[in-house]
Amino acid sequence: MFKKILVANRGEIAVRIIRACKEWGISTVAVHSDVDADSMHVRLADESVCIGSHQPQNSYLNISALMSAVDLTGAEAIHPGYGFLSENAKFAEITTKHGIKFIGPSSDLIKKMGDKIEARKIAKENGLPIIEGSSERIISVDDAKKISNKIGYPVLIKAAGGGGGKGMKIVNKPDELEKLFSQAKLEAKKYFNNDDVYIEKYFKNPRHIEVQVLSGKNRTIHLNERDCSVQRNHQKLIEETPSPVIDEKIRSNLLNQTTQMVHNIGYEGAGTVEYIYQDGKFYFLEMNTRVQVEHPVTEVATGIDIVKEQIWIANKGDTALTQEDIKPRGHVIECRINAEDPSKNFQPSPGIISVCHQPSGFRTRVDGAIFQGCKITPYYDSLICKLICQGRNRTEAIQRMLRALDEFVIEGIKTTIDLHKKILSHKKFVSSDFDVNWLSKESFY
Amino acid sequence: MKINKKVIEELVGYLKEFNLTEIEYGEGSTRAKVSITSKGNEITHDKVIQKKSVLEEKIDLSEKVTSPIVGTAYLSPEPGARKFIEEGQKIKKGQTIMIVEAMKTMNHVPSTQNGIVSKILVKDGEPVEFGQPLISVK
Repeated sequence: MFKKILVANRGEIAVRIIRACKEWGISTVAVHSDVDADSMHVRLADESVCIGSHQPQNSYLNISALMSAVDLTGAEAIHPGYGFLSENAKFAEITTKHGIKFIGPSSDLIKKMGDKIEARKIAKENGLPIIEGSSERIISVDDAKKISNKIGYPVLIKAAGGGGGKGMKIVNKPDELEKLFSQAKLEAKKYFNNDDVYIEKYFKNPRHIEVQVLSGKNRTIHLNERDCSVQRNHQKLIEETPSPVIDEKIRSNLLNQTTQMVHNIGYEGAGTVEYIYQDGKFYFLEMNTRVQVEHPVTEVATGIDIVKEQIWIANKGDTALTQEDIKPRGHVIECRINAEDPSKNFQPSPGIISVCHQPSGFRTRVDGAIFQGCKITPYYDSLICKLICQGRNRTEAIQRMLRALDEFVIEGIKTTIDLHKKILSHKKFVSSDFDVNWLSKESFY
Repeated sequence: MKINKKVIEELVGYLKEFNLTEIEYGEGSTRAKVSITSKGNEITHDKVIQKKSVLEEKIDLSEKVTSPIVGTAYLSPEPGARKFIEEGQKIKKGQTIMIVEAMKTMNHVPSTQNGIVSKILVKDGEPVEFGQPLISVK
């Protein structure tokens, strides 16, 4: 096993990775920006290195500073977490060239899956259902018109290098196409430095369903699906497993086809294949080649430590698990606690946490990096911790989550705790009668 | 015992130099202690400085546009692009003067004044606090 791992991240995911390393007996190196010197992941790691100033491009995205930290500390592997450099093919390539193990798939697969047009092709070649649309990038407006007429409006223009909803344009009518097409290309160039766009059919009210996989050289297994349809601006807020809306036949097809595809491409590590689901059918959306924020939902249901398995696969090449080891139990829900004020249009709420009481109790897990007196800076993502509750069924999971949310006390900053209470008590959530656009239409305040 | 005036003078000098209220010095059997009981002169001096700075602030007729949020200030919409405003430029109330990024959210900061930008008070990429002056407008 590795002797030392450098964790190239911050916040709750850095803490999560350090915990996994400690349990394997691996020593850990935390890296941090100047403003994060007192944060939890720095305190928990065996060693820490300051890699730059508060702006991410100077620190957590600073490849040369990270490589110096590796050199300085003698770490054998890098865990990139999620966000920052986790899906940066160049970073994976550089670490590999220097003989440092990147805990994730090969840089080649990161690159392929990062290009949404390429990913669509791979999915299609491997038998996954894809959304009707263009198979290549669209260069001219004429081609855009042809393909849109063929699919039928509304259509969605997406950036090949995109993600997180940026550079996406919904075209409702043919006369809007020309303008939105050029806007999409401009935005794609601006955000992703790549003006390649493609066109797909637009789904008005889909659910977001994803499949967690673990894959080694020897085999690929799935850890069931997660339903992440409570979203705001393409950002997930609540995730659960199993999905309350798919039946056993659809589920089994989804899981088997996903596992087959991931195995075919020679994927190594943990990954998630995302789909949209509407009217009884699912369609490939993209693949995330890293650990996801919502991975604890699956961990609690299956009893498998995904981060530890990632490290194992990175070290051994094979996975020690078989499909028979995966026996999910009950229903699990996760609420993302963000430092935002939902009553003020989700305005960011940095500050010092003056009072912090985290819930505990039966089947209640908190993944976070907060403590009384810690400073939530405005420089990074607003996610401060995650609350995960399991029940024998969905009803009990909701009841337990509401109980745990009631125990949660965070003072000094505004959080989404109160909003979660409102959502979980809402009849639409209770009856699973919602889609990814529900939250934006509903007013809770 | 003969009083060495030079030592006293030197000690008084140190009192002032290091802003002390009391200093004691000994050499052999001779000891000298110098103190300012009310620290009167010094305080008056401070007050004068304070008054002067208040006066200066009053003379500075420019209005400040302050940051509505804590975060990172950006002077242009994207790296390498033209700045939102330049010093000496005429601006209108409501016009975007810079972006303050907080938790990945880009907040356009509008000017609260009509006038001419006399000074941009923050650097590109600099962290800013809530209420911190960003520009002064004449």
